[in-house]
Amino acid sequence: MLTKKGKYGLKALVHLAQLPAAQLAFVGDIASSNNIPKKFLDAILGELRNAGFVQSRKGKEGGYRLARPADEIKVGHVVRVLDGPLAPIPCASRTQYQRCEDCNEATCQVRHLMLEVRQAIAEVLDQRTLAEMRDIVLDDLTVAGGELAPAQKVIA
Amino acid sequence: MSVARANSIIPSSIIIVGGGASGVVLAAHLLKSVNPDLRVTLIEKRPHFGQGIAYSTLLSAHVLNVSAAGMSAYADDPLNFWRWLQGQGLISQEQTPQTPFYAPRSVYARYLKELLDELEAREKETGRLRLIREESLSISPTSSGVEVTLANGTSVVAHLAVLATGHDEQPGAGQGHAIRMGTEADTALDPDASVLVLGTGLSMVDAFLSLEQRGHRGEIVAVSRRGLLPSPHRKGAPIKLDVADIPLGTQLSYFVGWFRDLIRENQKAGIDWRDVVDGLRPFNQKIWQNWPSSAKRRFVEHTKAWWDIHRHRLAPEVHARVTEAVKSGRIRPVAGRVVGIAADDGFAVEIQSRHTQALETLQVARIYDCTGIARDISTTSNSVVRSLVDRGLARPDPLRLGLDVTAKCEIIAGDGTASAKILAVGPLTRGTFFEIDAIPDIRVQSARLSKQLLG
Repeated sequence: MLTKKGKYGLKALVHLAQLPAAQLAFVGDIASSNNIPKKFLDAILGELRNAGFVQSRKGKEGGYRLARPADEIKVGHVVRVLDGPLAPIPCASRTQYQRCEDCNEATCQVRHLMLEVRQAIAEVLDQRTLAEMRDIVLDDLTVAGGELAPAQKVIA
Repeated sequence: MSVARANSIIPSSIIIVGGGASGVVLAAHLLKSVNPDLRVTLIEKRPHFGQGIAYSTLLSAHVLNVSAAGMSAYADDPLNFWRWLQGQGLISQEQTPQTPFYAPRSVYARYLKELLDELEAREKETGRLRLIREESLSISPTSSGVEVTLANGTSVVAHLAVLATGHDEQPGAGQGHAIRMGTEADTALDPDASVLVLGTGLSMVDAFLSLEQRGHRGEIVAVSRRGLLPSPHRKGAPIKLDVADIPLGTQLSYFVGWFRDLIRENQKAGIDWRDVVDGLRPFNQKIWQNWPSSAKRRFVEHTKAWWDIHRHRLAPEVHARVTEAVKSGRIRPVAGRVVGIAADDGFAVEIQSRHTQALETLQVARIYDCTGIARDISTTSNSVVRSLVDRGLARPDPLRLGLDVTAKCEIIAGDGTASAKILAVGPLTRGTFFEIDAIPDIRVQSARLSKQLLG
């Protein structure tokens, strides 16, 4: 399940992916333009830095930027770092398995199917890069606003 | 062999350069195809197919480092080798595959030989398999396919060629006076002389077992950067993981932290670390391929030595012999590096300790190269690979672990273009697939490549 943390993290990364390479963004700017509570964003960006997706610089001129080109960062990789194992329900995880109070996992058909669903989630999210996600958004805006530069073709 | 068909969608004639274990396993997978036009030509310079360097040893103490239940040549029939062993009476019918059995490597060579003999007999009528005992010198792309030049002056043509030349036969440049065990240079030794082994991994253990067999009594000093010896196998079952559980594409430290936590949690539940390490195995290539190049580099530099001793383990009986030999002083593992070698009557070797920086001079009669399998491919002793690199048709991968290949096993030329006609399997593809030295990985790669080429 994508938590708020995962969603905010992805929005922040897309924000960074829209900047010219090497340009730093202030946490406050990322937070306000994406409607993310700043304190929460601080924590999220800290985790993304530990995992090697963003770099930060301290001080007045400081801020965050992507550690690697946006087309090298996969969405699924980011979600695992922020939300843990990809899983539609908490019991459908092998490493962070959380038993449901109200059922027996050995005979639970729901869990069985959800284990299959998580493979499908991984297949989609591990194919998509941040760059593709950024450009999906651009595509929509082009249709709506009609004034942005033509979006790059999204390769499925 | 009809070269005129080169433009057809399915390439039907394929040359495999190298008839060691990877070459035979690949041929076996290709020949599962029902395509009657298929032509597989397997070229091997050694007198025997299926042996290569790995399985040519006759020493019974040189056992496989993987239990027989993991050593089938076929990806879709994992117990093929197990049943063969039972058929040979080497394991009882009652023994279950969960109980490890470490077969001598010479027995594995016999298994591959019989497998190839059977294929040869089966394909005699069809003419789909041709074996050539000759050294290959070079591969050249032609307008319609490839041409492989042989040492006897003839050449063979096909739609495409797959390199399966495996590990290098000669020590890498810069190993100075070191020789490989079992080669011609490995002449008789004074049984009481000290010898130096470069490396402390599985190859060092092989060298120790060979020296023991020859009645060698002198001290064996084994030196590597960290001086770590391989761990033993233990009966167990790998934990179950899905790709959705595993952090991909992160920095190395993040991944290592996750993996340590995973081991710790499992240990709390009474599960052995080996079962966690083995549970990760199906995903190792994926993990490697998703790492940024900085993480790959750091892994090779700092983490690989630790990974190797936990991942590439010894049969328990062999481990017990090594442990005993270390205790009695027959093997002396040293963490350090060789800083100088002077050849006189034997060699005076200067070693610097990793921990104390102290220098020690050893007088040894021989230096064996057991630094393992990774070496710069552009200095390879293999003429086919060498000539491809020299002509710009192939290049080393960025970490110089092997040849640069695509995820579809196509070799990448000096200018970055992938070849549709020259491919590679096995250890040569380590830069892209990382763990691709052992049969369980090579058979999966072969199955995938067969599907890719023949549908």
